[in-house]
Amino acid sequence: MVIVKRKELSLAEKLYLPEVVRGLSVTFRKMFEKPITRQYPEEPLEKTEVTRGQPRLVVKEDDSIACVSCGLCEAACPAYAITIDGGETDRAIEREPKRFDIDMLRCILCGFCEEACPKDAIFMSDELELADYSREALIYNIEKLKRPQAALQQRIDYVKKINTRWQTPSST
Amino acid sequence: MIEWSVLLAWIVKATVIYLGLVNVGALMTLAERKFSAWMQYRIGPNRVGPFGLLQPLADGVKFIFKEELMPAGANKMLFRFAPVIAALPSMMTIAVIPFTTKDVVLGGWNIGTFSIVNLDIGVLYILALGGLSVYGLIIGGWASNSKYSLLGGLRASAQMISYELTLILTILAVVVMAGSLDLQQIALSQNKVTDWNIWYQPLAFLMFVVATFAETNRHPFDFAECEPELVAGFHTEYSSMKFALFFIGEYSAMTVMACLTTTLFLGGPSVPFLEDPHWALQIAAFLAKAGFFLFLFIWVRWTLPRFRFDQLMALGWKVFLPLALLNLLATGVVKSLV
Amino acid sequence: MVKIIVNGREVEADPKKPLIKACHDNGADVPMYCYHPGLEPVGSCRICQVEVKQGDAPARVMVACRTQPAEGMVVDTESPKAHATRKECLEFLLKNHPLDCPICDKAGECDLQDFTYAEGQDAGRTNEPRRELDKRKSLGDTIVLDQERCILCSRCVRFFEEVPKQAQLTVSDLGSRSVIATFMDRPLKGKYQGNIADLCPVGALTLKKFRFQARVWNLIKMASTCGECSRGCSTTVEVLRGADVKRMRPRENEAVNKFWMCDIGRFSFDRHNRSGRLQGAAVREGVQLVPYPVEEALTRLRDELMREKSGAWILSPWLTIEEGERIKAVAERLGHAVCFVSPAPNSEKDDLLHTGDPCPNRRGLSELGIPAAPVAQALEALRGVKSAVLIGERIVELLGAGELAKVDATKTRVHLVDEYALDIPCVLSVYGVANCVERTGTWVNIDGVRGPISAVKAPPVGARSPAKLIDELVRLMPKLEKAR
Repeated sequence: MVIVKRKELSLAEKLYLPEVVRGLSVTFRKMFEKPITRQYPEEPLEKTEVTRGQPRLVVKEDDSIACVSCGLCEAACPAYAITIDGGETDRAIEREPKRFDIDMLRCILCGFCEEACPKDAIFMSDELELADYSREALIYNIEKLKRPQAALQQRIDYVKKINTRWQTPSST
Repeated sequence: MIEWSVLLAWIVKATVIYLGLVNVGALMTLAERKFSAWMQYRIGPNRVGPFGLLQPLADGVKFIFKEELMPAGANKMLFRFAPVIAALPSMMTIAVIPFTTKDVVLGGWNIGTFSIVNLDIGVLYILALGGLSVYGLIIGGWASNSKYSLLGGLRASAQMISYELTLILTILAVVVMAGSLDLQQIALSQNKVTDWNIWYQPLAFLMFVVATFAETNRHPFDFAECEPELVAGFHTEYSSMKFALFFIGEYSAMTVMACLTTTLFLGGPSVPFLEDPHWALQIAAFLAKAGFFLFLFIWVRWTLPRFRFDQLMALGWKVFLPLALLNLLATGVVKSLV
Repeated sequence: MVKIIVNGREVEADPKKPLIKACHDNGADVPMYCYHPGLEPVGSCRICQVEVKQGDAPARVMVACRTQPAEGMVVDTESPKAHATRKECLEFLLKNHPLDCPICDKAGECDLQDFTYAEGQDAGRTNEPRRELDKRKSLGDTIVLDQERCILCSRCVRFFEEVPKQAQLTVSDLGSRSVIATFMDRPLKGKYQGNIADLCPVGALTLKKFRFQARVWNLIKMASTCGECSRGCSTTVEVLRGADVKRMRPRENEAVNKFWMCDIGRFSFDRHNRSGRLQGAAVREGVQLVPYPVEEALTRLRDELMREKSGAWILSPWLTIEEGERIKAVAERLGHAVCFVSPAPNSEKDDLLHTGDPCPNRRGLSELGIPAAPVAQALEALRGVKSAVLIGERIVELLGAGELAKVDATKTRVHLVDEYALDIPCVLSVYGVANCVERTGTWVNIDGVRGPISAVKAPPVGARSPAKLIDELVRLMPKLEKAR
């Protein structure tokens, strides 16, 4: 059994009033200090390379989408947010997504899709804001998800850097 | 036969005072949020109007458009009536508060002292009506047919009855000092700053202030709502304007109590170091003093943690009641000797 | 039968079947590419190496598909030596196999992929470029060949040699230049082409209809039976996201179809994906068919059927025996005639699987005692009664919408239970019905083998299976219930 020894209170403390006054003086002083609130939409957060926002699809320099609709992100997605239908193209890589929907209401921004992607086609962009007036509008289709590679470059470089950790052979 | 000018004066005063009271109530909700924000390094409401000044208006509109809910098994009549009972007494008690001791003269038109009525038993009137407001709470709590509401209402009644005693006994000390139940007379008797009752009755003042906190169910004694234990206490089941009425009642009660404290202990409308101030100055002085007490309500709320209910009761019955009795006795003895 | 020991367990093995069969039958997981239980083993891929000890000779690693079990053989499929050998074989197979998995339709059900994962072969050791060949070589209307992915197991070659007994494919060229090809690049012929896509252990042969349509792990697969002829091949129906049937593949059934099915059955899913299906019920009011709650429509139907002594129930041969039984019972109690439509045989009959008879449950319905009626006879029966219920999927198709339109509306009132509505004057009410991938039941094939059909997806809103519809109708007939 643990016996907690409480501090003996002095008379002033027992009276409680002086302590009340002390407390009041503390809160009164704090009223005049600078608030730390960030006025969010006007003062947005700084975005860094580790910012993990909503997933977006990479459009390569030759204007073709990097995604081959392999479905690994769909399978990896723990929230079942992704729906992909593939189709054939004439390009060297024969397969491309005809439909690529991410239900942003389901998406939990975990980044599993980014990790699962074998083609470096989906990355967590720095886009964080998500608001609309209907549920349908928040199911993003392929056109809404496409981003030029340059827009995602910071994150792409970061992910590559992280991944090289696992690629360097261990000392053993 | 009342003279028309007297009736008109009365209407003007009543209109100004009631509008003021309701507006103060509304502004208090904003002030509450603003001050609490500042004390916590925050900004507070700042989206509606300049500095968020129109926030109470937005809240009011929101309240009106909220869905009215009626709990299953509630006593419909009492459930609807309770917020009215809770809000009404404090609104009525403001009638006897003397905002000036001098007659107000508007461009040669004397409308008398700036209080709605000059009642020679003003103190009794306030105590009698003030005691009614507990009904609103306990009826609201009971009629909701919810355990949290009922417990909140029970606590409210226990607490308010306990502290009513302290309140009355401390007021009695002041009445003994002034020798009158007329608030006007009490205010007049403290015309000079050295005559203020706070200097002669510091203990009574202290207990009175604490009792007002308990009477208005304010922090640190807000056991009737006590969120961590009772969800929202007696108004758990209320929504829309009915809920808003409870709020208006609470803030009006606070305002009245602040006015009463000012009148009883801080000389009411008296202006320090001025023997014969202008009536407008008197109103300003009164509002400044009352404003301080309103700020105190907020200030204390965001400083002190909530008591335990048994601590509250122990304080009321074991400390304040004997002290108030002793204080009254001493006051009487001293007064009769001097 | 001989006694051998597989992984420490004594088992019986058929000496006429290869050793790999005995291993598989006894829970040993031996990989295989060129071996297929339905084809002659050739031992070309060498992946099925296991360690075998016979008598006093030291243990040897040998290919299980070309070894006959012999008395006293001790087989170890998991020995380090067997693993090492298989891993080396695998490395050679992967030498020229492209890193195509993200776009390959086989990914997820690919033997090569699975075994590569199992053996942990995660990186190649060569820097030489891989073979670059034609990735989209069309082999006729059904099949596309990806020569790069091909591991030259020759299953497809042997399939045409052994099953339809008409060689169409071969391994052409030599050594590292070997590819699968048809003679003179002729397109593939015959109606068993689709099977080679199933046979292919990698993604080299793909169906044009399924190419890039779906990832295989997203398909919901259920055992069912093909309904395109009275053979009733066992199938697996695969549905994507509860909506479209994407594939129908043969399911191993020694008694019926072994491992194969014909392309007619394989590609019959198009009709199941067709839109415009009838939802709920509709009743003729005035000149139009007006949508009606099924319950109310059935109440009207009950009133008419119970009043009318001269009635006929004309069944589709796609109805299951459970449904046939119910309908027969109702018709008999109402005193109505009952028969099922028996269309003329078509020209698809062959020696392998297809019977040429399009009725999947002919035998089942006949065994219930429901007489078969050729189309003309069924139409005759229809014209001869005052009330007729045409029930079952494809019934309008069988009888012919044109023929039905000629039925005199003043003499015969027709109630139609079909997948699609038919708005002709004699039809008084229509009911949506679940088709053979949307309901469960049993068909009996031409040889008397029972085959299940499964509800792989949901029928259109309001459409019911015939069994459920009849049950509801019976529930609305109080007297009938009592009579039972």
